[in-house]
Amino acid sequence: MLEKLGEVIRKATDKIANAIFLDKNLVDSIVRDLQRALLEADVNVFLVKKLTDKIKQTALDERVNGIEKKEHLIKILHDELLGLLGETKKLNIQKENRIIFLGLYGAGKTTTIAKIGNYFAKRGNKVALVGLDVHRPAAKEQLKQLAEKNNLDYFIDFDEKNALKTWKKFKPKLKDYKIILIDTAGRHTLDKELVDEISVLNKEINPTESILVMPADIGQAAKKQSEEFKNILNITGVIITRMDSTAKGGGALTACAETKAPVYFITTGEKINDIDEFNQKSFLSRLLGMGDLQSLIEKIRSVTDKEKQEKIKKQLEEGKLSLNDVIEQAKSMSSLGGFEKIKSMIPGLGNAKIPENLLESQQEKVAKWEHIIKSMTSKEKENPELLKKETSRISRVAKGAGVSTSEIRSLLKQYDMLNEMIKSGSSMDIDSTGMMNQKQMMKLAKKFGKFKKMKF
Amino acid sequence: MFKFFKEKIKNWAEKISKHGEKETEEEKSEKAKEPRRIIIKETPKDEKRESFLEKIKGKISKIKISEKEFEVYSEELEMLLIENNVALEVAQKIINELKEKIAGKEFLRKEVENEIRENLKEIIENILVEPFKIVDKIKEKISDQAKEPYVILFCGINGSGKTTTIAKIADHLKRNGITCVLAASDTFRAASIEQIKKHGEKLGMKVIAQDYGADPAAVAFDAVKYAKKNFINCVLIDTAGRMHTAKNLIREIEKISKVCKPDLKIFVGESITGNDIIEQVKSFDWALNIDGIVLTKADIDEKGGTALSVGYILKKPILYLGTGQEYNKIEVFDKKKFIEKLGL
Repeated sequence: MLEKLGEVIRKATDKIANAIFLDKNLVDSIVRDLQRALLEADVNVFLVKKLTDKIKQTALDERVNGIEKKEHLIKILHDELLGLLGETKKLNIQKENRIIFLGLYGAGKTTTIAKIGNYFAKRGNKVALVGLDVHRPAAKEQLKQLAEKNNLDYFIDFDEKNALKTWKKFKPKLKDYKIILIDTAGRHTLDKELVDEISVLNKEINPTESILVMPADIGQAAKKQSEEFKNILNITGVIITRMDSTAKGGGALTACAETKAPVYFITTGEKINDIDEFNQKSFLSRLLGMGDLQSLIEKIRSVTDKEKQEKIKKQLEEGKLSLNDVIEQAKSMSSLGGFEKIKSMIPGLGNAKIPENLLESQQEKVAKWEHIIKSMTSKEKENPELLKKETSRISRVAKGAGVSTSEIRSLLKQYDMLNEMIKSGSSMDIDSTGMMNQKQMMKLAKKFGKFKKMKF
Repeated sequence: MFKFFKEKIKNWAEKISKHGEKETEEEKSEKAKEPRRIIIKETPKDEKRESFLEKIKGKISKIKISEKEFEVYSEELEMLLIENNVALEVAQKIINELKEKIAGKEFLRKEVENEIRENLKEIIENILVEPFKIVDKIKEKISDQAKEPYVILFCGINGSGKTTTIAKIADHLKRNGITCVLAASDTFRAASIEQIKKHGEKLGMKVIAQDYGADPAAVAFDAVKYAKKNFINCVLIDTAGRMHTAKNLIREIEKISKVCKPDLKIFVGESITGNDIIEQVKSFDWALNIDGIVLTKADIDEKGGTALSVGYILKKPILYLGTGQEYNKIEVFDKKKFIEKLGL
């Protein structure tokens, strides 16, 4: 993940802030650290040089002095980093949408299409997936399996070996769909045959959006690739895949900014929900360990359905929670992509040192909790206090669920903690627009700060 | 590959030797300027008059590049390497090695360029391990123990091109008279089994497969068993792409490796990957102890730095380069040719 780069940038900021006097040596060492970190994140060499030159210049500018200068410098660092990431642009849905996906081999086009399809279908749009990858063996099967798994409509002709003909065949049927997502074969820009194919397709389809799919671990070749694809087709946006793991995406992200192709989404795993809208500011904020509550809230909203939310909200207001709710919460937590991913979005928790396997074992625990709860009577589920009063119930449940009694106690503890949290704080109101104001965010951040001390 | 690198490295080496010339002239005009970074031995420092002869003399004289001087230039070389997709860590190590060889030594001016080039060549030659021929290895084993098949396990991150590479290698082996069976141990990704089955059909090879979600180690084990029973020479095991940070998935591939005891473990990586390739190979090597590397998508890449990065980190040979979609688009990695392409 991005921790290392974030750490270097944080350190650089600290160094600037704590320096009594910004002399050349200090500035040089800060600049060198920054350079290293950015280059290791695959950011284009020239961009790195440009950025660090600017920092140097500002730092050694003698017209500004003292505290003012430090603030100025930190601001410039942030602005420049933000500048590297380009402008924020959302993928806007219009009346009719024909979205074509292109990219190199193995960039993740087909998987991404399923994710995007699911993303828009969940938001109440009628989505169709069209498979025009006629070259790679089993590409069509892959799209079909993904579509079926996620209940998405698909149009695939298994016998046709010509992409254009396939498109023409399905065209009349596609009229009923609001969003049409088109999968194409992986290609690179030097292969004339494939370039010709896509040009012809492009003319016929007349897409409203042409999206380039790019892997996060791409190195210094990123710029050239994004440029060339842009030359052949009018790329309107980019999706960056494989943002999980150690890849920093610096190459892909900055290349897109440079070629003025906005990044719409980043994808972060193999599951269908592992996709995030890309927002430069949130990204930088997360990078610098300042958390990103806005995305967290958006994410929570996208995975929990309205009814459940209402129900939980009601119970929260009454200050009463059943064990079922604990599980429900824990489950939606794992469909958010697990604790590991959420960690980076919560302010203060991103830097907290939580042993890695602790988070993993937490997920295992949740799976066990489900079994435990299934072994309880409905009375016990509603009033977990019963278990504490009559401990023989605990051993009965333990036997039923095939776990040790200590595991049941830890579940009860978790329940108590959640209950207490709800009682202590006023329920976190999210106003009608769904936005949290700054104050509420701070409050929540504080609350989560306490979380750090929590023992799992 | 290395289209631009060749030209640039020449310029860089030339620059060092030429820069020395400029220094000479400067030196003469401002004699008093003390610690010179380049010391021109045969030009006396207190020479008062300049003559045309002296200037020429300067050009053929010996120069010495001090450590400090080298650092100034090395920054440029470092950028050059990074620009060509060599990972930062590796670029630094290459430069340190070059520094040890060059800094503080005396060279004839006209030979500086050559010296640098020779030294750089030597370093890169040491980085890249001479690849072995898979075909020979297989033939060796099957002639030895008649019944035991040669087992090759492929690993790598998602979308690096494992399945396509397996098909290409299988085709290559087939042409060399080696019979193969493919194991569809990627039981996770949608349509992965269909993909390898289609390759099997085209190549006329048996594919051992179970259903999605099956234990990949079991599929691999079955394939090895099948090969033993039917006297097939070689088993190629396709595995699911996995992120090197997904611990449980790395454990899974460790298990596959334990169960089917491969003779050869190959890491499949992309030649366009940047610094992350280091993390990737390190984790896979740590879990599996990789024997060789295949770099795919080499046709897209004009930089070639990834080969140096992987070579340096793993100290294991690069066996093949994937250069396209068709079966014959695979090249046996030729160390000599690669270095030639670098312009060294």
